[in-house]
Amino acid sequence: MISMKRYFRFYLSLFLTLTVINSSVFAQESGENLFNQNCTACHSLGSNKLVGPGLKGVTDKYETEWLKKWIVNSQAFIKSGDERAIAIYEEYNKVAMQSFDFSDQELDSLLAYLANPPVPEAAIAVAEGGAVLVDEGMSTSTFLMIVTIVIVAILYLLVSLKNKLKSVLGYDTETIPQTIVSQFNLFISNNINKVFSALVLAIVILKFVYDAMLGVGVTTNYMPEQPIAFSHKLHAGMNGVDCNYCHSSARHSKHSGIPAANVCMNCHTYINEGQDAAGTQEIQKIYTAVGFDPDSRTYIEGYEQQPIKWVRIHNLPDHAYFNHSQHVVAGGLECQECHGPVEEMEVLYQYSELTMGWCIDCHRETEVKMEGNNYYTHLHEQLKEKYKGEKITVDKIGGLECSKCHY
Amino acid sequence: METKKKYWKGLAQLKDEPVVNDLINNEFRESLPIDEFLGNKQIATANTSRRDFLKFLGFSTAAATLAACETPVVKSIPYLVKPDEIIPGVANYYASTIFDGRDFASVLVKTREGRPIKIENNNSCSNARVQASVLSLYDSARLKYPLINGKQSNWQTIDGEIKNKLTDLNGKKIVLLSSTIISPTTKKLIKDFSKYYSNVKHVVTDSISHDGILNANKKDFGLGAMPHYHFDKSNIIVSFGADFLGNWGSTQYSNDYIKGRNPKNGKMSQHYQFETNLSLTGANADYRTPIKPSEQEDLLYEVYLGVKGGKVSDKRISVIVEKLKESKGKSIVVCDSNITNTQQIVNAINYELNNYNNTININKPDYLKQGNNNELLNLIDEMKKGQIGALIVHGSNPVYSYVSSKEFTSALSNVELTVSTSMYLDETASLMNYVCPDHHNLESWGDANPSHGKYTLMQPTIRPLFNTRQFQDTLLKWCNRSDYQKYLQSYWMSKSVDWHKSIHDGYFEIQDKELNFSYKKPNSLSPKKSVKKNSNDLELALYETIGLGDGQQANNPWLQEFPDPITRACWDNYLTISPSTAEKLGLKNWNVSNGGLNGDVVILKAKDIEIKIPVLIQPGQAKETVGIAVGYGRQKAGKAGNNVGVNAFPLLNTNTVTITKTDEEHEFASIQLHHTMMDRNLVKETTLKDFIKNPSSGNKRDKYYYNKQKVTGDKVTFYDDHDLETGHFWNLSIDLTACTGCGECVISCQAENNIPVVGKEEIRKSRDMAWIRIDRYYSSDMTKEIGKEKGLSAVKTYAEMEEPSENPEVVFQPVMCQHCNHAPCENVCPVAATTHSDEGLNQMTYNRCVGTRYCANNCPYKVRRFNWFQYSDNDKFDFNMNDDLGKMVLNPDVVVRSRGVIEKCSMCIQKIQALKLKAKNSGQPIKDEDAQTVCASSCSTNAIVFGDRNDTKSEVSKLRQDTRAYDLLDHLNVRPSVFYQTKIRNK
Repeated sequence: MISMKRYFRFYLSLFLTLTVINSSVFAQESGENLFNQNCTACHSLGSNKLVGPGLKGVTDKYETEWLKKWIVNSQAFIKSGDERAIAIYEEYNKVAMQSFDFSDQELDSLLAYLANPPVPEAAIAVAEGGAVLVDEGMSTSTFLMIVTIVIVAILYLLVSLKNKLKSVLGYDTETIPQTIVSQFNLFISNNINKVFSALVLAIVILKFVYDAMLGVGVTTNYMPEQPIAFSHKLHAGMNGVDCNYCHSSARHSKHSGIPAANVCMNCHTYINEGQDAAGTQEIQKIYTAVGFDPDSRTYIEGYEQQPIKWVRIHNLPDHAYFNHSQHVVAGGLECQECHGPVEEMEVLYQYSELTMGWCIDCHRETEVKMEGNNYYTHLHEQLKEKYKGEKITVDKIGGLECSKCHY
Repeated sequence: METKKKYWKGLAQLKDEPVVNDLINNEFRESLPIDEFLGNKQIATANTSRRDFLKFLGFSTAAATLAACETPVVKSIPYLVKPDEIIPGVANYYASTIFDGRDFASVLVKTREGRPIKIENNNSCSNARVQASVLSLYDSARLKYPLINGKQSNWQTIDGEIKNKLTDLNGKKIVLLSSTIISPTTKKLIKDFSKYYSNVKHVVTDSISHDGILNANKKDFGLGAMPHYHFDKSNIIVSFGADFLGNWGSTQYSNDYIKGRNPKNGKMSQHYQFETNLSLTGANADYRTPIKPSEQEDLLYEVYLGVKGGKVSDKRISVIVEKLKESKGKSIVVCDSNITNTQQIVNAINYELNNYNNTININKPDYLKQGNNNELLNLIDEMKKGQIGALIVHGSNPVYSYVSSKEFTSALSNVELTVSTSMYLDETASLMNYVCPDHHNLESWGDANPSHGKYTLMQPTIRPLFNTRQFQDTLLKWCNRSDYQKYLQSYWMSKSVDWHKSIHDGYFEIQDKELNFSYKKPNSLSPKKSVKKNSNDLELALYETIGLGDGQQANNPWLQEFPDPITRACWDNYLTISPSTAEKLGLKNWNVSNGGLNGDVVILKAKDIEIKIPVLIQPGQAKETVGIAVGYGRQKAGKAGNNVGVNAFPLLNTNTVTITKTDEEHEFASIQLHHTMMDRNLVKETTLKDFIKNPSSGNKRDKYYYNKQKVTGDKVTFYDDHDLETGHFWNLSIDLTACTGCGECVISCQAENNIPVVGKEEIRKSRDMAWIRIDRYYSSDMTKEIGKEKGLSAVKTYAEMEEPSENPEVVFQPVMCQHCNHAPCENVCPVAATTHSDEGLNQMTYNRCVGTRYCANNCPYKVRRFNWFQYSDNDKFDFNMNDDLGKMVLNPDVVVRSRGVIEKCSMCIQKIQALKLKAKNSGQPIKDEDAQTVCASSCSTNAIVFGDRNDTKSEVSKLRQDTRAYDLLDHLNVRPSVFYQTKIRNK
């Protein structure tokens, strides 16, 4: 009990500190939001050029008023004949920057954010702290530990009570191990007990073997190293990119599809730096594959492209037919229901068993989404009649029939 | 401080004896003194010591164990730049055209991830060969690069050398020898080529010549073309040998023919066939009369005299003459003869019957046959004389298919420059200096003008597999131009054709200049007196099989294993002979203990030709005649097509032959060994007259005593019913009146469902794998009633019932898994590998099957197939599934079955599932016309209809209510989801 409390206190304090940290950076929030929503397509926070210049130290280089004028309407500013404005315009091949209709307050917070850009390492630390909070595995094992301790304590109490009674009655006392041995001898001296316990032992062993056999070919938690250390946590989690943006064929096809490199390049034409040097190196691997020069931001002519050989994680056997669009569109499932918290996976792994039993269990429990789908209109009437008030689950429309998946 | 003390292990070391060193270096001797007790020097000198051996053993055991534990790493390689139109896992369809100089079809090509896997009909009809052509694309025997004198070369060199030689021919002619070309742009291109090299001549030849009809029409109408026949508008169809449902004329004809034979309207055309061999068309005829080829012209002349009002003495003719006269302007007389005179008689008959511009349209002709044999004869003559400087052969294989190929071959040596554009190093191409391999249709651009005013376009559906080049591009290159695609596009755009719409649709119609040819009666019209023959001579009639045609696709294993609709044999050609003639000559067919069919082998002699060929006894063959199929006996087709059967092309101009029996036996591969229905009513049939009187005539159901009353089988059951009312209930209706037995569905099914090719030996053991078979039954002269009358014993009666008539009636019945709703197979499966779905399908789960074959034993329809071997990746079955190229044709949505499991028709469950998914995803109910199995969608006559019986508006639910609908073997009461419509003959 004591240890439980201690854990709780630790978590609480950690949570509070994080909240405090969060609130202290709140002033910069709107500036950060503005930057992320409006500027990231063309500017980085570092000193590297994208479409426009990197904005590291931009607030030191130019005065606030100058910057404000530039942001609100750069074209008008250039026309007004400001020398520095014209110089920048010329430097970037006369690519006009879009005008932004920001309020003065917004401009201030944006410039404040640019003056104090976040340190990438801090972000990671915060994210990891968050991860500890959601980890629930610890508490179950702790609970078991506590139960064990309680049982041992009770055992100790009982034996010492017995010894006390014995010593009061004038018998020889026993230590705990002696008690265990004597009790065990007493237990197995009975033949029925002997057979019974052997049977239990055999069943337990068989169960273990059976479970182990069931696991053959099941590759849950398979987490191979990929040719590019792509982080779903970064893309789907922190940046909130929709799964369907990259895995677009999940809505149309049986395959969810590993995105083609040109999908990566939609963003990475501009985003050529990772959060750290390692990240930048991984992005470079895409460029190597497609033949893209990040400095001139052009594709290299006549480059021999090198396909990216991803390691496939989810392998269904050939005799099982699975269709993503069936589940995503008709079934309306979220990707996470089968693939787990992908947005939290730094390295992707197989979350579900992908065994037939696993499929069937879900088909038995999941209700078919029939409302508003004209395909089901007539069938729904018939099924309502047939099952009278029961949930209409996938198995009731033939979701357990062999040929739904095997042909 | 370092100590330099030395310790001895004994006195011997101190004395530095060599034995000590030996022991230090080699304490345990590596090589055991085995030789001492074995005395074998080989072992002593072997490099591998016992310890090494143990090391290897240990290592390999460990490696094997590790390898077994490790799940293999699967790589997934996505596109770098994904083409917009491709979504992995979703099929794309492209409209295109298949034309190989012989078979034409406008098609939809199904592609998956950029590879064509299936051909569907696009607003037109096709045949088995068109369906199979997708496999020929992936033929490993195709040429992979250009050749100069048989050696690999490149396009630059070959173009340079050919161009040099073409310009330097000393005034000798350049001849382009091709099969029929129906592409308008190719024809224009050939004209451009002729202009560029001034002395070019284009010679067109067809392997099976249609000169007779072309010349007759040239004489009688002034237009040397095949007219278009409207079989749907005709009440009386009389065909003298023309196999228009099989190999004669357009593939459209079978559809038209069946359109005119719908008994529902109470009207059907009546079809008379006079022919020598039993053809597919003859098998479908209402009345069939076997005639000798020599009789043909006389009989036709008699018809001519008859329709003109003369008296007809021949009984065989008098019937049809009356009928023809009754339906003037609504009849067709066709003939396959290649004799101009005969065809002129046919023209005269049709003219007298007022058929032109009614049922026969010469002013909207078909252009599929343009060959001119005389020009080929002239060419060979000129070649002999050395007047030809260059010969370019395109789409033609005269060394194989010309009647006198030796003559052609020897004349070839007089030509300086010989070029072939063949896809294969075939019989002709292998004799050429230069081979510039052409693309397959599915890799090419093109257009086609199959008939007047109708045009189709061809577009590539895959990037060229090999370093080949389209014939048209080759011609352009030699004219110092390039890009046929642009040439094609600008040609049609200049004719104000909507290019994008047309390439999307695959076809377009433009108003061609109206033709106005009318009949001019020839001065004299009389049959030529045929030459008297010896009494021992047999008359010969060559024919093309439905599978192989003229043998262009002989290396296509699907077509080789396609059982002939009539003889049911495959992987062979043979001499067909009538039962009575065979008996007279002592020729026999018999079955051996494993069920295989054996036959006598004969030597066939005609003038200077001698061929050894097996005999297949064919009921319906005219007496004292024999038939042989061309298209076999290829020598350079590829591994599947080489040396299958004998080449009958040298017999093309032969009329009579003699045969002598040899002692040899031939082993046939025939998938149907019985000939008749043995008095069972598998095919229920009736006549049109009876049908009009009683719409359910011929569709009698057996009744049984049950609860003291007589009831039909469906009232008696001890099964629990499946809930078939809820949701879909997939049914398949097969109209036996509409089925011509052409077998297009068989190949279509093979392509869709990854059905393996098993080879001749396996077929012989009845281990064919096709999921759909087309049973062919002959009528017999014996019935139980006649047997009783004659007082024959039951055994004798049955034995005679299995004997087909001399000229039998023929029925075709496609049989696939009947998807019984009270399935006998499902009860006996010990592992529940075959189960029933609530949508009326009998499901087969391969991964559950342990191969007991109880289900196949218990199946009353014998439609279950057992995988005796692993047919993929197995050198013993070296067909398309044994090489990487051939495997590209496999449908990724259907499992390739492995050894030891039963498989059978799934009613294209993959298509049903895809259909339902599409409906669910789009939130729309299923449209009846979208529900298709491949057998239904490929059927040119719409004999097979698939759909949801619970959808009251669907065609199949209406057909189920039809008076003609019946279940196969309905007394078994297995309640199949497949049902048949009775066959109706117009008798």
